[in-house]
Amino acid sequence: MIEITHLKKSFGKQEVLKDVSFKIQKGQVVTILGPSGSGKTTFLRCINFLERAEEGELRIGDTRINLRKASRKEILNVRRRTAFVFQNYGLFYHKTALQNVMEGLVVVQKIPKDEARKRAEAALEWVGLSNRKDFYPSQLSGGQQQRVGIARAVALNPEVILFDEPTSALDPEWVGETLDVIKKVAKKGITMIIVTHEMSFAEEVSDKVVFMDGGSVVEEGTPKEIFTNPKEERTKKFLARIIPQDMYYI
Amino acid sequence: MGKYFDFERFIDTIPKIIPQLSVTFSIVLVSMIVGTVLAIAVAVLRIQRIPVLHQILGIYISFMRGTPLLVQMMVVYYGLPLLVQGLFGININTWSTIIFVDIAFILNEGAFLGEIFRSAILSIPPIQSEAGYSIGMTRLQTFTRIVLPQTIRIIIPSYGVDLIGVFQNTSLVFTIGGVLDIMGKAKTLGTATGHALEAYLVVALIFIILSLILRFLFFLINQKLQYERR
Amino acid sequence: MSFSSENFFDSLQGAIAYLPVTFKLTIYTFVISLFIGGTIAIIRNYKVPMISQFLAWFVTIYNGLPLMVALVIYNLLFMTNYDNVARFFHISKTISEINPVIVGYFSLILSSSCSYSETIRGALQSIEQVQYEAGYAIGLSKLQTLYRIILPQLVPVAIPGLINNLVGTIKGTNLVSAIGILEIMGGALTPCALSYSYLEGYLAAALVYWLFSFVLETLAKQIEVRSTKFRRQIV
Repeated sequence: MIEITHLKKSFGKQEVLKDVSFKIQKGQVVTILGPSGSGKTTFLRCINFLERAEEGELRIGDTRINLRKASRKEILNVRRRTAFVFQNYGLFYHKTALQNVMEGLVVVQKIPKDEARKRAEAALEWVGLSNRKDFYPSQLSGGQQQRVGIARAVALNPEVILFDEPTSALDPEWVGETLDVIKKVAKKGITMIIVTHEMSFAEEVSDKVVFMDGGSVVEEGTPKEIFTNPKEERTKKFLARIIPQDMYYI
Repeated sequence: MGKYFDFERFIDTIPKIIPQLSVTFSIVLVSMIVGTVLAIAVAVLRIQRIPVLHQILGIYISFMRGTPLLVQMMVVYYGLPLLVQGLFGININTWSTIIFVDIAFILNEGAFLGEIFRSAILSIPPIQSEAGYSIGMTRLQTFTRIVLPQTIRIIIPSYGVDLIGVFQNTSLVFTIGGVLDIMGKAKTLGTATGHALEAYLVVALIFIILSLILRFLFFLINQKLQYERR
Repeated sequence: MSFSSENFFDSLQGAIAYLPVTFKLTIYTFVISLFIGGTIAIIRNYKVPMISQFLAWFVTIYNGLPLMVALVIYNLLFMTNYDNVARFFHISKTISEINPVIVGYFSLILSSSCSYSETIRGALQSIEQVQYEAGYAIGLSKLQTLYRIILPQLVPVAIPGLINNLVGTIKGTNLVSAIGILEIMGGALTPCALSYSYLEGYLAAALVYWLFSFVLETLAKQIEVRSTKFRRQIV
C-alpha cells in the first residue's frame, strides 16, 4: 500500500539516508528500530515531506510521487492521506485539546463544525481524555499531550499514521499509558509506521520490524525473526546493547 | 510665575484641544492598521530570504531605523509628489497634508513592527508549522491559523510599547504645518492668544494620561491572552 | 518642483558641517543619561525606601511625555523665566547670549535617563537572585557584589537594549531643531532657504543621519561582541 524506493537524503556533506527502500501493506504495523543517528526519524519525515529527499519515489495507493520533485499539490495530497505523531507532541500551543483535534477536520477536511466537534470528542474519549478536552497543551502532562497528538492523528482517518519516537520525550511514568493507546490504534487495523526505542512494545505490536543503521536498512523480518534470531551482526550487537536497558525502564 | 501660567486659562484651553484628539487618533489608527499589514508582509518576505528583495527590505528597515521620523515625514511630503509625478504623471500636490503624514507613519511602522513580527515569527518552534503541514494544511493555512495567532500573543507587549510610541510620535506632526492634531492646535492657540504654555501643558497632560491608559490596557490584554497558564 | 543634484550636494555639505553638533549632543546625552539611568535602575532594584517609589512614579509618568512636547514646554519656560533667574543668580548675560542648547540637553537627558533606566532595570531583573546571594556568601559587601558580580553580568544583557536606546537618542537630537538649534537637519536645510526647494535638504539630512547611526550602531555592536565573551565560552 505504501512503498518507498531508493530514498536518499543528506544534510550538508553528511549522508543520512543511503538508498533506503521500504514497503508496508494495508493494515500492517511496521516498527523501525536503530541506534540514534541511523536516519530512521529522517526517513519518516521524508515520507511526510517535512524533509525534502534528494532522490527516491513514494507510492501511496495508486499514486506515484517523486520525492525530490514533488509539487506542492502532490505534497498536500500525501499529507492529507497520512498523519504524523511527533516526538515532542507538536500540539498547537494556542488551541485546547479539543481544538487541536478539530483543526484538521474543520480546516482541511471541511467537515461542519458541529460534526467535527462530535468526532473530536469521540477521539479524545477513545484515548481516555474526555475530561481534559478544554485544557491547553501547557496544562497537560507529556503523556496526555501525546495522547491528544494520537487522537488528532486518528480523527483525521488517514490511510497511514507515522509515529516518530512517540514516547522518547516522555517521563518514564507516562510511557506505559501512551504505548497502550498506540496498541489500541494498532488493533483498529490502521496502517502504522512506528520509529521507536521500546523493544518489547515493538515485539508485541509489529507485523514487521525493520532495523536501520548508518542510513540504510540492515535487516527486516517478523518480530520473532529479528528479536530471537537476528541474522546480521549489527542487529545482534544493537539488540544486546539496548534490550537490558529497555527492560530496566519498564 | 503667575503671569506666565494661569490656571483658569489652562482649564479653558482643555475643551479647545480635546476635539483635536480625533486627528491624533486618526493618524495612530491608520498607521497602526495599515502598518501592521505592511509589517507582516515585510516580516514574511524577510524570512523567505528571496534574493534582491531581501536586500532591498534590509535597506528599507535600516533607513527607517536610522533616520529621524521628522526627516522621513518631510522626505515623503516633498519627495512623494515628485516621485508620483515622474512615474505616473499624476499630480498629488493637492492631497491634504495628513495623507503624507499617514504614509510616512505607515512606512515607519512597516519597518519597526516588521522587525518585531519577524523575530516573533522566528521564535515560534518549527514543530508548530510541521504539525500544521502534517495534518494536511496548506502553507497559507498553517501561517494564518497556527503561526500568526501564536505570534500575535507573543508580540502583544512590544506591540503596546510600539503603539504608545506612535501615539507620542504624533507630537512631531505639527512641524509640517497645516495638521491640526492636539499639538498643532496648541501651537495655533499659542500664536493666537500669546499664551502658549497652558496649551502645551494641556497637551502634555493628555499624552501622559493616555499613555498610562494604553499601557494599562495592554497589560490587561496580555494577562487575558496568556494561554500558557502554568 | 524638481530635484537638483547641485542643491543636494550643497545640503550634504551643510549637513556634514553640523554633524559635530549632533555627535556632541548624542554622546553627552548618552553618557550622562547612562549614568543617571543606571543610578535610577539600581536604586529601584534595591528598593531604597521612598526614593525608589518616587522614581517609579516619575519614570512611569515621564515616559508618557513625548520629547517634543517636553522640549517645547521647557523652551517656553526658559525664555519667559530667564530674566528672573539670571537676576537671581547675578548672571550678567542676556538671553540672546545664552545658547538654547542647554534646554536641548536638559530635555534629551531627562527623557533618555528615564528610558535607559527601564532598559537597565529590565537587564538587572534578569540576573538571578542566587548571584547576589553567592556574592554575600563569600563575604562581599552589597557594593562589592554590585560592582564585582552583578554589573559585569549586567552589561552584556543590557547592551542590545541600550544600542536601541542610543539610536533613539540620535534621532531624538533631531528634535532640538524645533527650538532653533542647528544640527544635521538644520545644516542641510540652510542652502534650501535660497532655492526654496526642500527635498534635497531633507534627503541630505536623512543620508547623513543614516550613516551616522549606522556607524555608531556598528561600533556599539563591537562592544557587545567583546562583552559577551564569557557567555560564549560557557555555551
